[in-house]
Amino acid sequence: MADLTPVSTWTSADAQHFGRRAGFGLSPEAAAQLAAQTPGSAIDAWVDGTGLDQTLFADVLATRADAVAEPARNASTTPGAVSLPVEPGPHPFRVEPADAWRNNFTRSQAYLAFRMQYAPYAFAERLALFWHNLFATGWHKVNNAALMLQQQALFRAHGLDGFDDLLALVSKDPAMAIWLDSVQNNGAGTNVPNENYAREVMELYSLGADNGYSQTDITQLARALSGWSFTVSASEVSTDPTDPSRKVAGSGTFRVYDGSANPDPYLWNLQQRTTLPSMHGSGSITFLDHAFDVRTPPASMVPGEDALRSIVTSRAPQSASFLAKRLLIHFVTARFTSQDLSDVASMIQSSQFDLRAVMKTLLKSRFFFDPANRFALVEGPVSWSVRAARALGYDLASADALSPKGFPAWALVAGSFDQAGMKLLDPNGPNGWGEDDTWLNSGTIRYRTRIAAAVALLEQSATGSPSVTYKLFPSDVARWFPTPPATAQAVLDRLVALLQPAPFPAALGAAWLQALWPSSFNWSASDAQNKVRDLAYLILCSPAGHLY
Amino acid sequence: MRITRRRFLQGVGATGALAAVGCGSKAGSSGVDGGPVNPPISVPARPILVVIDIDGGNDWLNMMPPVSGANRTAYESKRPSLAIPTAQATPLSNGAGLNADFSGMEELSAEGRVAWIPGIGMNNPNLSHFVNIALWGQGAAQPNGTGWLGRFADGSFDTRGDVLRGLTVTSDQPLMLRGATRSFVSITSSSGFVYPSLLRAGRVGSPYSPQLLEDEFTAAVTSTTSDPASPPDYGAAAISGKPFLDAQNGFGTDGNLPARTPSVLYPGDADFPIKRTGGGNLSSTLSNQFKLIAQMLASGLPTEVFFTRLGGFDTHSNQLADHPNLMRALGGSIGAFYEDLASIQTGDGNAQDRVMILAWSEFGRRVAENKGGTDHGTAGLAFCVGKAVKGGFYGDYPDLTSLDKNGNMKFTVDFRSLYATVLDRWLGQAPSATDSMLGSSYPRLGFL
Repeated sequence: MADLTPVSTWTSADAQHFGRRAGFGLSPEAAAQLAAQTPGSAIDAWVDGTGLDQTLFADVLATRADAVAEPARNASTTPGAVSLPVEPGPHPFRVEPADAWRNNFTRSQAYLAFRMQYAPYAFAERLALFWHNLFATGWHKVNNAALMLQQQALFRAHGLDGFDDLLALVSKDPAMAIWLDSVQNNGAGTNVPNENYAREVMELYSLGADNGYSQTDITQLARALSGWSFTVSASEVSTDPTDPSRKVAGSGTFRVYDGSANPDPYLWNLQQRTTLPSMHGSGSITFLDHAFDVRTPPASMVPGEDALRSIVTSRAPQSASFLAKRLLIHFVTARFTSQDLSDVASMIQSSQFDLRAVMKTLLKSRFFFDPANRFALVEGPVSWSVRAARALGYDLASADALSPKGFPAWALVAGSFDQAGMKLLDPNGPNGWGEDDTWLNSGTIRYRTRIAAAVALLEQSATGSPSVTYKLFPSDVARWFPTPPATAQAVLDRLVALLQPAPFPAALGAAWLQALWPSSFNWSASDAQNKVRDLAYLILCSPAGHLY
Repeated sequence: MRITRRRFLQGVGATGALAAVGCGSKAGSSGVDGGPVNPPISVPARPILVVIDIDGGNDWLNMMPPVSGANRTAYESKRPSLAIPTAQATPLSNGAGLNADFSGMEELSAEGRVAWIPGIGMNNPNLSHFVNIALWGQGAAQPNGTGWLGRFADGSFDTRGDVLRGLTVTSDQPLMLRGATRSFVSITSSSGFVYPSLLRAGRVGSPYSPQLLEDEFTAAVTSTTSDPASPPDYGAAAISGKPFLDAQNGFGTDGNLPARTPSVLYPGDADFPIKRTGGGNLSSTLSNQFKLIAQMLASGLPTEVFFTRLGGFDTHSNQLADHPNLMRALGGSIGAFYEDLASIQTGDGNAQDRVMILAWSEFGRRVAENKGGTDHGTAGLAFCVGKAVKGGFYGDYPDLTSLDKNGNMKFTVDFRSLYATVLDRWLGQAPSATDSMLGSSYPRLGFL
C-alpha cells in the first residue's frame, strides 16, 4: 500500500531525489540547503513557488536568453514589405505574441528548455512538462508557435488548480481548439458534430479508454461542446514585416460561436466577421447519466461547460484513478500495485481534485521518499538534457556575467529532442508520449549519447550567415569541483554527486577510471580536464545515467 | 504501365477534379492496355516484408467507394458533401471503384499485384486510435503486451546476432515490433549510424579518444548488476543500448550506407508528375522511408522485415482538402517504391521479387459524414502488394445498409487472418507456430 503520510525529516539524498523528480535537479550544495529545512515547509514553498527572486530570470528572458542569432529574412514583393537583417545573439527568444508571425517552432522549444533550466519556480516548469505530456497538443497541426506557448503558460499558471477547472481551461485553450477540431465542431441545426475533442477529452485527458463512458456519451458531449472556439482582437494580430499580407494570431480568447455579436474583429482563423457563426448546438443531452441543456449552463459557466465538468464529478473514481496513474508514472514509480493506485486515487478524491493539495500530499509522502522508488523511473529526454545542463553548466548569474554569455545554445540542440524521443511541443498525437521505459529504444539511446556528448565534451557548432561558432553547452570543468580533486576516485565521486545517476556496479566505475587514468592521476596535466569530461559523458549515457 | 503525367492529366477535368483514366480493367480478365494480368511468381526463398502503418484511421470508403446498387445509394445519402463521384472511381471486379486519387495503385491492381481486403476488422470493435493500434500491434487472441512481429522475431531471429533482421525506419518502437526478448532496431537515416556519430566524425577531435569512449560505453551497456538495490529499469536501459552498438557493425562503412539515386521519381520529388490538388509537391514522408529502405537493400543489409508509417489520416475535418493528397502520396509512394525495387539486385535475388508490402490502418471511418469530415469507425481496408501476390479481393465489401448501432460497418474478415497468412506463407512459419503466436487458428486468406 502507498503510505501517503508525510515524512517528518529528510536527508540530503532525499532532497536530491526530490529535486530530480519535482524539478530539474539540485546540486549537492543546494540539496543540502533544502534538506536543512523541515520537509513540510520546504516542499510547501517549492510547490507554491514562494520566497523566490525572479528578477534576474525575468530580465534575462526579456532581453538576452537566446545565444543563437536569428537569421535574416528577405522582403517579399508585397507592398510595404521590409527585409530583416541577422539579429546576432544574445537576444530574447523571439517567441512573444508579437512574434507570432515567425511561427518560431525550434526557438519555442529552446525557450521552454531555457525556462526549465533557469526558472526559479522550478516546480511550475516541471508540472507544465507533465501537463504537456497529458494534454498533448501538436504544433504540426496548430501551426502557430505563439498559441502553443499560450497553452504552456496556461499549464504554468493553472497547473495546480482543481482538475475540473484545469480541464475546462484546457478545453477552451485556442491551441487545443485547433488541435482536436473544436473550431470545426458544428452542432447547430441538423449539422453532425465533430467528435474528435469529445472522444479524446475523455479517453486521453480525464478517464482513460472506455473507462466509464460510451460512444453515445461521446456524441452527446460533442453536441455540448460544439462551437467552442476563439476570437482574436486587433492588437493580438501579428503581421509579418517581410510580407504584410500575412497575419497570424498571437493569442486568442475563448468564445462560444453562437451567432451573437463578435466581441473581437476576427474569428479564430482571422476571418473578419462582426457576428460569430452559429455553431453551438441546442436542446438537451443525456451525458454520463445526467441531463444537461447545452444552451443554459449555471451562472459562471459557458454553454456546455457543465457537461464537460461533470466528467470529473459523475465519474470521480475513474477520473481519480486515471490521474493517479499518470502522476505515479511520472513522479513516483511505474511499478505500483493496484493497492498503491487505489490509495493515491482515494487521496485525489478526498482532496476534491485540488491539484495543489494532491501534489503536496504526494510529494511529502513516505511513499514518494520510499527507497524502493528511488531511481525507479527512466527520465524523459528533455528533462534529462536540462538536468545535465544544470549540473555541468553555469548558474544563471554566472552565465550572464560571461562574454559571450554562458547559456546553452538551446536553439541548436532542441532539434535533437525529437530523435531522442520527445519532440517538445509537437507530439505525434493527443496520446502524447509514454513514460518510463518507453523512452528507451536503440534509436533514442543513440541520440541521447549525442546530447550527452554535446553537454559534457564542449561541442561547438558553426552555423548561420555570417557563420558564428557557438559552444552548445558552455561549461568550466574547474567549477565542477569545489576543491581540486586529488585522485581519480575523487573525480568519479564528485561527478556522481553532480549528475546523480542511479547506482551502478563498482567494477564499472573502476574500469572507467583505469581506462582514463591507467597510471597516475595528475590534476595539473594538460589532458586532465578533458578526461574528466570523458568520464562525465560516460556517466551520463550509461544505463544508470538515464534513471531518476 | 506506370503513371505518367500525360495519363494522369487525361483524367483531370477543368475543375481539377479527377475522373478515372480508364486504364484499369477488371482484375482477373485483361489487364492494362488490354494485356494479360501477370500471374504471381512463387514465394521467394528469402522473402522481405515491408509494413505500412496508415496512421489515423484511413477513410477507405472514399478510397474504394461503392459505385452501384444499394451500397451506392446509402453512401451518397450519408455523405452529401464527401461522396466520391462515380466518374472518379475506376471500376473494380468486386463492384466497387478505386478512387483515381489513389494513383499508382490502379495499375498495380490491374496487373493483379494487389490483394485487397475490405471489411477487415475485429469483434467488439473499439473506436479509439490507441486501443486499436495496440490491438492491431498485438494481433493475439489474448493480448499480452508483445506484438505479432515481435513474437515472430523472438522465434526466428538469433538472440546473439540478427540485430538488423527487423528494422523500423520510424523513430519510435511500435508495439507491433516488440517481442519478449527481441525488438526491432530503429534506423531513420542512411548516415551517421555510429556511436556517437560526432565522435567518429572527428568533430570532437583529440585529445578526446573516441575509441576509449566507445569501449567504455560498451562496458556500461554490457554490465549487469545483480545488486538487489539496483533499480529495475537499469536492465531496460542496458538492453536498449546494446542493439545500437551491435547494429552499427553491420551498417555500411563507418555507419554510412553507400549513396543511392532512386531509379524512379517519388512523390515529393520536384518532377514527380502528380502534385497536390492545390498545387505543390506531395508529402515526401513515406517516399523518404521507402528510399531509405531501397538504399538499405541495395547496400546488402540482411533485413527481413521493415516497418514504415504514414500519418495524417485522422480526417475528422478538412477531409475534402486533405484526403485526396494523402491518397496521392500513399499510392504514389507505393507505386514508385515497387518499381524502384526492380532495379535492385540483392544477394538473394531481385528486390522486386523478394518484397511484399502489407498496408493496414487501425480502423475505417464512420459511414455518415460530420460537417467537413468523418469520425472514427470500424471495419477497414488492408492490402498487400507484390509479385508473388495473387491479385483480387479477399474480404467481402461491407453492407452499407446494415450498419451497427453506431452507424459503423460490420467487419467481414478478422485481421488476424491476414497475419496468419503472412506468417505461414510469407515468413515461412509452420502453421502450428503461427497459431501459437496468434493464440488461435485463424483462416488463411488465399492471396499467397
